[in-house]
Amino acid sequence: MVVLLVLVFLGIIWLEVPGLVRKKMWRELAAFAVFLLIGMALSIPQALGIELPNPNRPIEVLFKPLAEWMQK
Amino acid sequence: MVEKGKIDSTQAILLNITMIFATALLSVPAITATHARQDAWLSSLLATLLALPVAWLTAKLASLFPGKILIEYPEAILGRWAGKILGLLYLLWFIQICSIMVREFGDFMVNAFIPETPIVVVNIIAIAIAAYIITQGLEVMARVNQVFLPLILFSIVLIFVLATPEMDLRRLLPVWESGAMHIFKGALAPLAWYGEISTFAMIVPFLVRPGEARRIALISVVAVGLIFAFLVVGSLAVFGPGIAAMAYPVLNVTRVINIANVIERMDPFIVAVWITGGYIKIAFFYYVIVLGSARWLKLCDFRPLVLPVGVILAALSIMAGDNSLEIFHFIGDVWPFYALFTFEFAIPLGLLVIALFTGRGKDKP
Repeated sequence: MVVLLVLVFLGIIWLEVPGLVRKKMWRELAAFAVFLLIGMALSIPQALGIELPNPNRPIEVLFKPLAEWMQK
Repeated sequence: MVEKGKIDSTQAILLNITMIFATALLSVPAITATHARQDAWLSSLLATLLALPVAWLTAKLASLFPGKILIEYPEAILGRWAGKILGLLYLLWFIQICSIMVREFGDFMVNAFIPETPIVVVNIIAIAIAAYIITQGLEVMARVNQVFLPLILFSIVLIFVLATPEMDLRRLLPVWESGAMHIFKGALAPLAWYGEISTFAMIVPFLVRPGEARRIALISVVAVGLIFAFLVVGSLAVFGPGIAAMAYPVLNVTRVINIANVIERMDPFIVAVWITGGYIKIAFFYYVIVLGSARWLKLCDFRPLVLPVGVILAALSIMAGDNSLEIFHFIGDVWPFYALFTFEFAIPLGLLVIALFTGRGKDKP
């Protein structure tokens, strides 16, 4: 699973990076790298079976009183 | 310029309809009926009325800042730093709701049709197709939608025509039984969906005639509202208020169709058409994310961002909840307030008030 995921990331890098380097689009390359690193940080732990915090949970807590009013 | 394509007013209206409607079709009738029972159709009409100010607000902001997209308005109104931060929050919000949409659609496929398939596979396929659509640009997406939306609408009319033998309009009686408060509660979920019209402000500069933005936004909301009311009335006439207990009422309507034991089990055909709408909706929000990120970072091209953002969306769509009940709870009870009190209505309203007081932006549209 993790191997597959790493292959996908290598595939994405292989698809995008050579073109960006050739056209000297450094700004785009930096943005690409940052987004891809965030993607890796979110997906590789899941492939390893590590539970990541749910991004919707803080929102649920914040709007809890209203959600309870809805259920009445 | 990041995006060179242009779309005309009709394409924009059709795109807006798909952008709101493709997931509203799935579980929103059930959420509305949970609160308003057989008065759910009143809720959906009320939601349409309440969504008109949201559409007006969206178009008004867009007319003050021609050539800019939604995430650039805060920078023009609040100044560089506060504006950049608010723009970033908007991008994060789009990433979050897009991942929830992917999840919702994946749950729908897995729950209703392919229960043995891991949801991550369904989600990745959806994101891959959406990624392909958006690398082709806005114009292609609008044209694809122009082909498929009429088919989707036709499929819905067909379902309800074929289901007429099962219908009984007395199931809509008594009217107003649930009372004003519950009708209002029932209106909140569809209202949050119609409020997605605020996303339209991300593509206003790419219209052939941006001056028509107000007309486009209002027509889109009214059209979606009427289609949705039609769905709710149809499902209520077939099942009565029992649709509240269903996950996907409109899908269940297709499953009861039986004409002389010949025309039955229509759901695979119908869903094959709906999937196109779901993919276009996902593609639209995905596009808004990559386009917005590219403009926020002042890049010359958004295409390098498409695949990394897709990875983020796929990962978040799995993290969004442990099971589909959690997602239902989120979109039914939390999302209406979350959407309306923040990025769909409250923040644009605040921005408009500040813009009018400080005189930033063009005075005459």
